[in-house]
Amino acid sequence: MKSTIIKVQNISKEFQIGRNRSNDLRSTLMNKIGKLLTFSNRKEEKFWAIKDVSFNIEQGEVVGIIGSNGAGKSTLLKILSRITLPTLGRVEITGKVSSLLEVGTGFHPELTGRENVFLNGALLGMRKEEIKNRFDEIVAFSGIKKFIDTPVKHYSSGMYVRLAFAVAAHLEPDILLVDEVLSVGDAEFRRKSLRKMNGIAQGGKTVVFVSHNLSAISSMCSRVIVLDNGQISIIADPKTAISTYLSKFKDSLYFSSNDFKLSFVRNTQSYRHDEQIEVKIERKRIFEPILFFLALRNYEQNRIFVSEKMWKLSIVSWKIVIPANLLMEGKYFLEITTKEPVSHKIIESSETALSFNIISRDILMEKYKINRLGFIADPLKWIICD
Amino acid sequence: MEQKKYVISPSGLSYLSKIKEIFEYRELLWMLAWRDFKVKYAQSLLGFAWAIIDPVFTLIILTFIFGTVAKVDTSGIPHPIYTLAGLCGWVFFSSLANDAGRSILGAQNMIKKIYFPRLILPLSKIFTSLIDLSIVLICMIILMIFYQYAPGSNILWLPFFIMIAILAGIVVGIWISALTIRYRDFKHILPLGLRLGMYATPIAYPASAVPDKYQFFFFLNPMAGVVEGVRWSLVGTGDFPIYIFGSLTLLLILLIWGLIYFNQMEKVMADII
Repeated sequence: MKSTIIKVQNISKEFQIGRNRSNDLRSTLMNKIGKLLTFSNRKEEKFWAIKDVSFNIEQGEVVGIIGSNGAGKSTLLKILSRITLPTLGRVEITGKVSSLLEVGTGFHPELTGRENVFLNGALLGMRKEEIKNRFDEIVAFSGIKKFIDTPVKHYSSGMYVRLAFAVAAHLEPDILLVDEVLSVGDAEFRRKSLRKMNGIAQGGKTVVFVSHNLSAISSMCSRVIVLDNGQISIIADPKTAISTYLSKFKDSLYFSSNDFKLSFVRNTQSYRHDEQIEVKIERKRIFEPILFFLALRNYEQNRIFVSEKMWKLSIVSWKIVIPANLLMEGKYFLEITTKEPVSHKIIESSETALSFNIISRDILMEKYKINRLGFIADPLKWIICD
Repeated sequence: MEQKKYVISPSGLSYLSKIKEIFEYRELLWMLAWRDFKVKYAQSLLGFAWAIIDPVFTLIILTFIFGTVAKVDTSGIPHPIYTLAGLCGWVFFSSLANDAGRSILGAQNMIKKIYFPRLILPLSKIFTSLIDLSIVLICMIILMIFYQYAPGSNILWLPFFIMIAILAGIVVGIWISALTIRYRDFKHILPLGLRLGMYATPIAYPASAVPDKYQFFFFLNPMAGVVEGVRWSLVGTGDFPIYIFGSLTLLLILLIWGLIYFNQMEKVMADII
């Protein structure tokens, strides 16, 4: 019989930001004097990272949490992990929780791999006996048996990460909270990690999984929570949740900000893979020369490429052309950022200014539609050598 | 199978639950202590020797200042032994207070990513300090053999004074580590305080050498009793420092107050560290 194992009731978390954050006696004193002198209670800048979030999770569920950057996903996970306390509300948890918010926490460079496995395992909540029993499996999973008795400071970053993840992968708590740690290591290792996560998920454990990797979320989770600006946007099955999440991003042919206007030259958001995509970028007003960055993001919010241009006073508008036969089928976003040339201070930024879709008629690509192969289409030239 | 259920709320855990939790996390406490030990002596060639070199230098300086220059009355005991006996207590306290005081800030990364009762961080430093103390005591034994000086039955009181030294070190550690989260200044205040404290504590001179009008303030220093006590148990000079019980009471009050403050800070630790 399934029971509610995590009960989140009206959780809110407030943070204090800005100048009033004092970290030493001098600024605390200055703040207090400042308040006295001006007779005002200068409002400390606060913001709600999470506001009134409630949900229940049943035993054995694999729940995903998605949302834009800054939506409150990590904060929520930190609250569930007891690292930070909520400002309001309460959470009831039944069972042993292990949190994986970072890979390799506590690893000390002077200790050997073996010693770090025990240390990290203890930090993650494993008993010494458990670690001893699973030690060989952990080492086998990491693939660095030969170096297990060498101090970790001699490891390459890849080895480090593989060992760290191997320890985490062999946790057996009742409830596992994971924050975006599956994007470590090389492709081969990432696949192994994903498979292991899947194994844990299917083994009847309860997993709460925060990620930007929408395809992993949709394949592993039975339910998905979408966070938007600290509040729950929707809780639903992966398909519905993900499309709700993505639909928040503008589906329009135009984008307008204070300084720019973007539009599709061909007045459409759908392109075949063999068509080029042209976008016009117009300046709306006169400004100083600025650095203009345009990035292309895919469905999973990875940046495929970033293009940079110094926008001089004399130029009124640009047209960019994304070549045909470059991108794989899917939904893409154009991200624009402008910076001051010397200080590199960000003037304006929009992660999802415009979006478009690539649809494919290529039989080969349709055949492999389910498994995305690569971020870009095959650009290789094959030349026979005799 | 009975499963643990707990509640996360803005007020945090009750004091009783917190005490139980420290016991549950005892394995981690050992792990951290073991890690500190390994790291401290891992790759150093001289290894344990480093634990002695600092006290030895201090010993030389103090013996010179108070023995040769000021010629304080040490009841006939050779100055080096007298001073080292006093130093034993102080060095242990100083290293524990220092390590424990820096323990929270030094573990920033862990605190932001993993949950465990933060109190085990300063507590875990007791073990490395005890190991350092053993090394200093071995030096003491060597010195006593050299001067052909045998300890009396007072030595049975040594563990008692060491326990109070542990208490003092932990109290300072808890306060400083909690204060440092809020005010980084304390990171610097601590070493300064310890340096001043070293001269204000009767390590190389007897407490009786202090003029009467300063005696009251002098005995407010809990380490005065510990240092005199350790010295009394090792070499038998002076009397049993009866005022140690006053110091003990003071320390216990500071401990409870410190734990309350630490608990309050713990609630916001991950947010502001």
